[in-house]
This record gives sequence, C-alpha cells and structure tokens, in this order.
Amino acid sequence: MNNLLLSLRLAWNVVVRNWVVYRKDLLANISPTLADPALMLTALGVGLSPFIGQIHGLSYAQYLAPGMIATTALFTAFFESSYGFYVRMTFENVFKAMLTTPIGVREILVGEFLWTFLRAGLMGGLVGLVLAVLGLLPNPWAVLLFPFIAGTLAVPCGAIGLLAAVWVRNINQFQTVYSFLIAPIYFLSGVFFPLTDRPVLHLLVQASPFYHGVRLLQMAAWGRWDGMAAAWHLGILALFTAGLWMWSDRWIHRKLTT
Amino acid sequence: MPDSVIIRARGVTKRFGDFVALQGLDLEVRAGECVGLLGPNGAGKSTFIGCLYGVVLRSGGELSVFGRDPAKAPRLIKERLGVVPQENALDDGLTVMENMRLYARFEGLGKKPAEGRIRGLLEMLSLDHKSDVVIRALSGGMKRRLAFARALLADPELLILDEPTTGLDPTVRHVLWEKVLSLRHAGKTILVTTHYMHEAEILCDRIVILNRGVVVGVGGPRELIERETPGFVGIFAPEDEAVLRSHLRDGWEVFFQGRRCCVRAPRFEDLIALQEGSGCQALQLRPSNLEDVYLKLTGRELADDE
Repeated sequence: MNNLLLSLRLAWNVVVRNWVVYRKDLLANISPTLADPALMLTALGVGLSPFIGQIHGLSYAQYLAPGMIATTALFTAFFESSYGFYVRMTFENVFKAMLTTPIGVREILVGEFLWTFLRAGLMGGLVGLVLAVLGLLPNPWAVLLFPFIAGTLAVPCGAIGLLAAVWVRNINQFQTVYSFLIAPIYFLSGVFFPLTDRPVLHLLVQASPFYHGVRLLQMAAWGRWDGMAAAWHLGILALFTAGLWMWSDRWIHRKLTT
Repeated sequence: MPDSVIIRARGVTKRFGDFVALQGLDLEVRAGECVGLLGPNGAGKSTFIGCLYGVVLRSGGELSVFGRDPAKAPRLIKERLGVVPQENALDDGLTVMENMRLYARFEGLGKKPAEGRIRGLLEMLSLDHKSDVVIRALSGGMKRRLAFARALLADPELLILDEPTTGLDPTVRHVLWEKVLSLRHAGKTILVTTHYMHEAEILCDRIVILNRGVVVGVGGPRELIERETPGFVGIFAPEDEAVLRSHLRDGWEVFFQGRRCCVRAPRFEDLIALQEGSGCQALQLRPSNLEDVYLKLTGRELADDE
C-alpha cells in the first residue's frame, strides 16, 4: 500500500512537470483547443443549421454541441501523447533525466495518462461551459459530467497517441497516423451526423473508444440518459483503456529501457 | 568488509541483438572510493552505467548496488544515487530555479528544505546569479554545472558522472573536477567516465579500463602505470623510426601514437643516452602516464566500427 502511494506520488510529479512547462505558454497551448470547436460550431452549427432542420428533435447546433467536447478531448489527448510525448522523449530527453531520479518507467506512463485525463477533462469542461452559455445544451446540468466523460474518453485516445509515439520512426509519420486513424475516427463517429440509419458504419465505430465517449456526451448534453446504454459505453471505454494501457505499458518499457 | 562495497558486478553481460556490449564485466566499487571508468567510445561504459540504475537491463551476470539488484529495485537504488548523464537533459524552456525545484520534487525533498538546498548548490557551482535565467540561454558550461547541481540535490551517497567534462573549455573543466575532488573528500562514492586521462590520474583512487565490453586493466593510477608502462617516454619524429630501432636495448619499446614515434625506456637517462647515440632529437621527454596505459591496453588502433 505504501509502495502504491509512493508510486502515485511519483507519477503525480510527471503531471506537475508537464503542467509547469505547459503553463509557460498557456495562451498558445489553450487557444487551438478552444478556437477549433468555436469555429466548427459557427461554421456548421450556425451556418448550416437553417438548411438542415431538426435531427432527433434537436437543432443542428444542439446536435453538434456535445461532439465539440469529444473533439476537444480527442485532439488534446492525441496531440499531447503523440507529438508531445515524442518530443519529450526524443528531442528533450526529459525521461532520460527523470529516470535517474526515483521516478520509474511505470510512473512516467501513469503520470502521462493522468496528465491526459486532467487536461482533456479541463478543456472538455471549459468547452462545455461555453456551450451552456450559448444555450446549446438541452440539459445544462451536464456541465458537471463533462470533465469526467471527456477525461475518460481521452485516456484510451491518448494511449493510441502514445503507441504511435513509440512506433513512428520520425516525427513526420504522425501525419499518417492522423490521416488514416484519427481523422476517420473524428469524422465518422456520430459527431456530425447520426449513425442510427447506417448499420455498417454503426458497427464499425464500435471499435473506436472515441465513439463511445461521443455517445456518453450526447446522452448527457441532450438529457436523454439511458442507464443500460451508458453502462455499455462506459464498459467498452474501460475495456479499451485497460487493453491499450497494458499495451502501452509494454511498449514504453521497451522504449525507455534497453 | 562486504558492507562497504557499493557496486558489485560479477560477469555482467549485455547484448543488443547480435552486438555484445558487455561481456562478463567484473567490477567492485567500495564506499568512499573514486573510480574512473575509462575506455574507447563504444567500450560499454554508458551501458554499464545504465545497468546500475535500471535503464539498461543486463542480459546476464550478477549486479548489486547498495546490496540490491537494479533490475528489481531501481527505485531504492535511485533514492541514494545521483547521475550526471552524458546529455544534460535539462528542460530548456524552464528557468534554472524552476528546473531545480522540479527535480527537488522528484527526489522527494520538501519545499522548505529544497529551497535552501537549491540555493546552496547554485552558489557552490556559481550559478546563483542565473537562477531566473531560462536554460536555453545558458552556455554549455553553465548547463553542465546545472546538471551537476541537479544530481546533487538529494545529497546522494553515490555519484555517477558520465563524461562530465566532455566538450567543455579548460576553465570549466577544472572547476568541475575541483568539485568532484571536494565531493570525494566529503566521503562520497564516485564512479566517473572520462576521456581526460590526466585528470583521471590525479582524481581517481582506482582506474578501470574497459575495452569491447571487458575489463582490460584495473588498479590505482600509479600502480597501473608501474605495471603496464613503467618508465619514461621520448617522442620523436616519425622518420626517426629506423634509426631509433637500431639503438634499442632490452626492455625498451617503440610504438606509434598517431604520427609520433615513441620510445619507452625504464630510466630518464636512457632516453638522454638514446638521443645522443642516435642523433635524433626528441620532441618531448616525459614520464609514462595513464594515456600510455590506456593506449596500450585498448589497442592503439581505432576499433573497426569507429
């Protein structure tokens, strides 16, 4: 027990390190995560809404709103864990120095995931607040749930980024990962259009953690909470998290120790 | 006294695929000793150092640091050692103070004691006037001193220095070696790798020379010189070789260091006599030193892969 606490404290140090560096450039770091969903909402939500009419009894802007939180969480997690982790590992040698202190490889991994959870939770929560202020949430109380769902969705997405970071041979290859994995996940997981009438796609996206996070956020934002469905999505997210976590644990050990 | 052994390596091996980096390395470092680990690039020095705190997992052999196996209990070992890695690995965007505070935290120092400790170390390494400067703006020598200060944060019993002075100007080098010396006097155990033979000779109690993953020589600096290359060395121009060879006596040796033709003889007077007898004027006459030992034991040729 004592060991576990010490280990967690050491992992927390990794979070602190990332935060200390992150806050140095706070504005530059936060702007894209907030600006992107704002632009998306303006262009699609405001611009397209009048042409689209209602989806499941919601305006298009309302339909789009929870997906913006999911998107923020996905991009925060993916970029921080892919580019961010890769730069820390390869160019800044952060872990080389860290590993000379009592911090171990596992604590680095736990710390990175904690950091992803907190950052995505925070950013997702902020986006949620903006949506509430804009009146796009049929269930405004959902703002209390957003940070938790966004963080939970971010960890498996971050793990994908981390695996990409240990697999790529140079930093340009992240572009490929983005184009063939992250972008399709982003565009096809029900953020922009409902999947209910598209059985094949609906089946396919079950295999992405992002989709399950999107569904949870939508249920919360629209006030259409279904206990069974929520349990299913949370369960799948937990499975993804556990599987990808174990996988990244193995790979990060291989990468940081020889 | 087995308790006073800090590092004990018995037949430590490390393979990277087909490449054997360490092949049966034996080494002991006792408490309070300053041991110099010398050897060509690629001899396995950094690999061995990595083994000591668990970032390199050995393929075989026995290894204990503070009586523990670094592959199994790296944290307990790392709590008691400080490392100056070959690359400084400092957070470039942070200030000196931010960096030190962060690492004090990693080492588990409380806020209050950390502040005092950091001030003391920055002062000791003449960095106190740079506390609020961003690391990116520091000179190479300052960065190295900061890496030193960082390694000393937790007042470690064992200090591992991986080429601490490589690439630094002589002034900074002397300052750093001075610090190492004072740490040694303070009773720290030190393991240092370096390519500066002269400094290793003065600083280290014991020298371990590594070549292609095996120990090829161990002993005190004087002892090694007496054993491997006793006497004095005269350095001549290369075209003198044939003449010099014709004047050699038993127990003398001719060898090349780069383009220089060297003659080693037991006594200084022998070399004087050689100059007079052969008519060749030496460029330099000097006592045999650790560099001679190093070059003899590691082979005077460059390794195949260099």
